[in-house]
Amino acid sequence: MIFILRMSAAEETIGGREAVKQRTKPIGDRALDFLSSVRFGVTLLCTLVVLSMIGMLIIQQNVQGFDTYYASLTPAEKLVYGSLGFFDIYYAWYFKLLLLILSLNIILASIDRFPTVWKNYFKRPKLTATRSWLREQSQNALIETDERDENTVADRIRGVFAKNGLKARITNFEHTDYATDTAGKKDFTKLTSSKGLVVFGESGRLNRIGAYLVHVCLLTLFLGHFVALQTGFDADVRMIPGDATDQIQMIEFDLDKKEKFNVQLPFSMTCTDIQQRLIDPRGSIDVTNTLDWRTQIKVDDPEYGATTADISMNKPFSYRGYRFFQAQTIPVGNARTIDLNLIPQNGGEPIKVTIPRTGETTIADGTKIEYEEFLPDFTFNAEGKPDTRSGDYNNPVAILGVTPLQGERIRVFAFGGAMPENAPVSAPKAGYKWKLADYEKSPFAHVLSIKYDPFNGAFIAWYFGGFGLIGALSFVFFFSHRRVWALIEEKDGETQIVFGGNANRNHLAFEEKFKKVVHDAKKEL
Amino acid sequence: MAKEIYDSEIGRGWKGYMPAILAIAGAFVMLGLRLQFGESFISDGALMMLALACYIFAALFHLTNLYAPSDMARKIGLWSATLGVFFNLASWLVRWDAAYEHEIAIMRESGNMATPWIFRYVPFANLYDLSLAFAFGAGIATLLLARRKSFQVLSAFTLPLAAIILTLARFIGNEFIDLPPVLDSYWRPIHVGVASLSYGVALVCFAIAVIYLLKDRVKVEAMAIWSSIFAIGVIGSISKFSVLTEFVYRAGLFVPNTSGGKPFSAPFRLDVPYVGIALAFCALLLAGALASFLVYLYREHEGAKTVGHLLLKIALIAQILTVGLLVSEIRGTKDVAARLQAQLTANPSQFVTAGRGIVERQDLSAKEFAAITPAQFEQTGRQYMQMNGDKLYLSVGTNPVEIAGLITALAGTFFVVLFAFRTDKLRERLPSLESLDSLMYKTACLAFAGLAMLLITGAIWANESWGRPWGFDSKETGALVAWLTYAAFLHTRISRGWTGRSSAYFAVLGFLLVIFTYLGVSYLLPGLHSYA
Repeated sequence: MIFILRMSAAEETIGGREAVKQRTKPIGDRALDFLSSVRFGVTLLCTLVVLSMIGMLIIQQNVQGFDTYYASLTPAEKLVYGSLGFFDIYYAWYFKLLLLILSLNIILASIDRFPTVWKNYFKRPKLTATRSWLREQSQNALIETDERDENTVADRIRGVFAKNGLKARITNFEHTDYATDTAGKKDFTKLTSSKGLVVFGESGRLNRIGAYLVHVCLLTLFLGHFVALQTGFDADVRMIPGDATDQIQMIEFDLDKKEKFNVQLPFSMTCTDIQQRLIDPRGSIDVTNTLDWRTQIKVDDPEYGATTADISMNKPFSYRGYRFFQAQTIPVGNARTIDLNLIPQNGGEPIKVTIPRTGETTIADGTKIEYEEFLPDFTFNAEGKPDTRSGDYNNPVAILGVTPLQGERIRVFAFGGAMPENAPVSAPKAGYKWKLADYEKSPFAHVLSIKYDPFNGAFIAWYFGGFGLIGALSFVFFFSHRRVWALIEEKDGETQIVFGGNANRNHLAFEEKFKKVVHDAKKEL
Repeated sequence: MAKEIYDSEIGRGWKGYMPAILAIAGAFVMLGLRLQFGESFISDGALMMLALACYIFAALFHLTNLYAPSDMARKIGLWSATLGVFFNLASWLVRWDAAYEHEIAIMRESGNMATPWIFRYVPFANLYDLSLAFAFGAGIATLLLARRKSFQVLSAFTLPLAAIILTLARFIGNEFIDLPPVLDSYWRPIHVGVASLSYGVALVCFAIAVIYLLKDRVKVEAMAIWSSIFAIGVIGSISKFSVLTEFVYRAGLFVPNTSGGKPFSAPFRLDVPYVGIALAFCALLLAGALASFLVYLYREHEGAKTVGHLLLKIALIAQILTVGLLVSEIRGTKDVAARLQAQLTANPSQFVTAGRGIVERQDLSAKEFAAITPAQFEQTGRQYMQMNGDKLYLSVGTNPVEIAGLITALAGTFFVVLFAFRTDKLRERLPSLESLDSLMYKTACLAFAGLAMLLITGAIWANESWGRPWGFDSKETGALVAWLTYAAFLHTRISRGWTGRSSAYFAVLGFLLVIFTYLGVSYLLPGLHSYA
């Protein structure tokens, strides 16, 4: 007998195992389950955290200061970090692969879970509930009323739900269950049927799909950023007033080497003006004394004609997929405009003129004055030619091309500082003594950075994906789906109403709301 | 009957928000008064110190209320916290006006009649400003939670943290910086405002997590182990690792800024007598406590537990005395040049270290840097010393993160010692595990959404300013890492059902990463956010 029993137990076990084996999903399904699992998603997030931390702690090759950091490493460190791609980790193949798999995980997880959510909360929401189920909810209550008409009670409760922001529906409900004894224990030998009405109220149902909106926004962000990276590039261009170019320089980093490549533009650009607005105009053109930089360019496009644009800090200019930004300056002192004081050699009132950089003017006697060059710290170089000793405004001079009405063009130096009367450079020329009275400081050149993004991937990613993500997250976390059921049953000659409810988040606020609903219902009934 | 239940159990309506409303409204009145009276009105620095005092005062009363419940103590705690938030926000608003007047005065004096827009002066320009706003974020979140009486106890843990943030701000110094033009954007108040509020909420989430762990009967001895590891880590890493390797603490030095702005950090550090040994002694005591608690936890040795607690208490006293000694030595030292000269004569290798530091700032190429010999580094260091030696001076502001780190370690030890005192009674007074868990989840959601806003607004601003939305700059990556950690927290909670302790550990980790982004990235790592 014992043997038989053991045998049967063994058969059951074997049978059970076979059954389990039969139920095992095909390997493809299991792989999909794994790829779409939250556990895998969290593992990917943790891996992303670790790799990002590595990238933070090891200075990346495009970060300022990388050169000295790289030089300070031992050959072994350079070899190991370099082989593992740690100097450019965010563009390493495995980092991109990780982001790709994370995107896949988000997509699959959404596909896997969305239909269930749709079915349970939109297509076939739970409109009815049993007494025992309601009593098991985290929020539940039981009230009794003298009102005998269930429909009247249901209508009043519907009103209470509506007053509390819950969209209500009334459903007839018939339920068969095992009978329970006085102690509440189920008697599995008897079945009982009960009839009643269930008022179901809910608010914030859309919150259930908030997580999927977050996922869509995240994917938009990833995709837009990916498109921008794959189809675009970064470059820069030096802008000196008067200079025109149809080429920009693309920079590529290879550890401590920076390589520049010329990129042809489909249009040409001419720098017409550069300006540096200073806090203290007497101070330096250092960044700490700067309010803003402004570059004015003229675009000549064979297809679309001419366009003029101003590019300031935080105010980029977009044109045909190219975005131009203020990036840096060449901080050698120069002058955007010069104010000259011309003292006639033969006496008379001094003449004051203002000339913009690369500009010219003609005074009353027909003398033409061209602003050629500006040297902030005048000196003669080894070849005996005018030069600047430094970028600071220690001894500023404006070099002018002066053409008298009936004379030849000559070169004139207008100094800002006091010069000895007998100094050759102070000697009158073209009938005037030339003095640099004042000047508006500006750097020698501005460097604009250019982002080429032909499909506006970055814009779509961050404005649609980014703002969408903010909205979706706010929607998910600052709202909740609240459901309340009220089962109206006649029991022991009285009308009983069993309330039960739940919310997917913000349980403390829901607790308050639930108590208020029950309180209002008591008052109403 | 039903009405009674309703009134006593659920919220107090808008009245619950009164402390927060009063604090904010009062702060705006202070701004109005500042605009009316100008520079003669109370300064932002003084208001910040008042806020600091109020936060500490409120925390003390809330702590008292924990051990000896009294409605009076609770009320004093609540209204002191309200005053703290009021002074905190008033300090920030007054600073806004002060920054405007400061720059306008410079411009007018130089004949520049331009008037930049007012948002240029929003106090979100440097780490001091951010710290003020961060502490306000923590303070206002605490006040909003205090709407429920049962949650007012949380103030006992969040307000000391806010006080530490303000202490750090005090050490950083409130000098105005010359705003880099890239920061002159309407995105700055949006981006940094979101940062400070979400950091504040993350701080509150962290405090709730710690309370949850305490309530959930995590042993105080286990907490002591972690706080001791943190404190030993701080002591070991400050002063460029010299405390535990040479038993010397060297403080950073300043060189005055001739243009009147924030002084410059010098490449030399000066030995502060006795502090190194005192810190090493603290570390030894903490290591002793740590070892004793490990023995207790793994062998259930009651004697080890007693020894551990005794060592921890001595370590707390030692830490208080050492921080006091450090601050008094830094403030009392006048003959910096002579002492530094003597120190360098005894150890000339410090010239090489200083010279290397100077050269590293010159942005040389790897080839150029590698070509510089130690003798040349030494020469550079000597030249710097010759030019600036007599101008160097000591200040607590030179090492704000180090001193704030030591104070945080001290606070950690203090709280563990406090938790060990009548632990069961303390646990009884704390809110229920369910409500703490729910609140932790709620604040984590807020922190997560806030950090997402921080990342997105930062990326859009970067796209407007630098031409690229995302460049894996260290600050960007730090914020991303913190956000991903909260994302993992929420996903494990929603989908895997990880609540309670697991969530609390995630919340602690998330906040540590937020702090690393806030401080560590600014002071330790290179990047485009070095001003903040």
